Amino acid sequence: MVQFNLPQNSKIEVGEYFKDRTNSKSIKKVNVYRWDPSTGKNPRVDTFEVDMENCGPKVLDILIKIKNDLDPSLTFRRSCAHGVCGSCAMNIDGVNTLACIKSHTDINGDLNIYPLPHLKVVKDLIGDLTTLYKQYESIQPWLKVDQTGEEKIELKQSQKDREKLDGYYECILCACCSTSCPSYWWNGDKYLGPAVLLQAYRWINDSRDGDKKERLKKVADELKLYRCHTIMNCTNSCPKGLNPAKAIGSIKKMLATS
Amino acid sequence: MENKNNPLSPHLQIYKWQISSLLSITHRIVGVINIFAVIIICFWTIFLLLGQENYFPIEIFLNTFFGKFIVLSLCWTFSFHILNEIRHLMWDIGYGFDLKIANITGFATLFGSFILTILLYLIGKNFF
Repeated sequence: MVQFNLPQNSKIEVGEYFKDRTNSKSIKKVNVYRWDPSTGKNPRVDTFEVDMENCGPKVLDILIKIKNDLDPSLTFRRSCAHGVCGSCAMNIDGVNTLACIKSHTDINGDLNIYPLPHLKVVKDLIGDLTTLYKQYESIQPWLKVDQTGEEKIELKQSQKDREKLDGYYECILCACCSTSCPSYWWNGDKYLGPAVLLQAYRWINDSRDGDKKERLKKVADELKLYRCHTIMNCTNSCPKGLNPAKAIGSIKKMLATS
Repeated sequence: MENKNNPLSPHLQIYKWQISSLLSITHRIVGVINIFAVIIICFWTIFLLLGQENYFPIEIFLNTFFGKFIVLSLCWTFSFHILNEIRHLMWDIGYGFDLKIANITGFATLFGSFILTILLYLIGKNFF
């Protein structure tokens, strides 16, 4: 359902202000979305004055610095810190991206950090991606072949066929694209969203897969697929530079021509 | 996970407008306006058929500032919708998904819609 306003329990309040104590000359104000499930209060935005003289170049470095020096209760997901795992996906300066590869020097003025949009917040910057993972499971992201386990024949793929997966296999499922999509915001329970559809296309397009027709049939649905109106927020936000809009367009084209 | 009372993270409130998303929502709004415009134009033609006397009040209205504003606005809504629809049709055949190209065609659509409006205005004024 389309609901433009936030529900009553999600309205954001003004939070605490953490003043700089290091007398640093180079200070950046960082506004971070906070919500603590144990308090029962509404979410708030805390402001931190961060000493940039002793801080790394990425937004993730700032978050880690805040957690180390200013407020150890700040909660966020992160793992590899090199744009490979997709854990630290969040909304930075109004656009979804990975905190670990976004440089804070790209952002003028205050730095605003929110969790991925239109998700149930678990704590602070962590959103609940259960629905997305269930949808991912529903497209059966594994090779399906008419082969009994005993045959064990190697599935060969020509270089040309392999190249067809370029731009799709690189997806790390960080959910930046899906949570940037207004269609996914309003119909997230039924519409599969850019991330999952890109994955669906990756398996449809795999020359080794034996279930192409069935896969196409499964995804050809008014709500699952055609809620994409080519808004292209997904492609604009993908931190890996992939193009989910093109993948969805390709599925639509396949369905129209097959 | 049981999280019925957990808050919803902000979406429209914080997400930065992209040229693509802005044009997309404009395309929708303008489409709805155009439906009403077409209905009004149908009635306008009916009044034309009814003869001079019936048509006279409409002519007066169209010559007021407000009337002219509406006509010019509709020129723009139609221009924009046509140009952006061409973009959508190209996407349907599978072209123009590249982010750079999509942004260029986006700006071209916006720019072109104003050019087309001016052209329509000048044609209406018998300028050519």
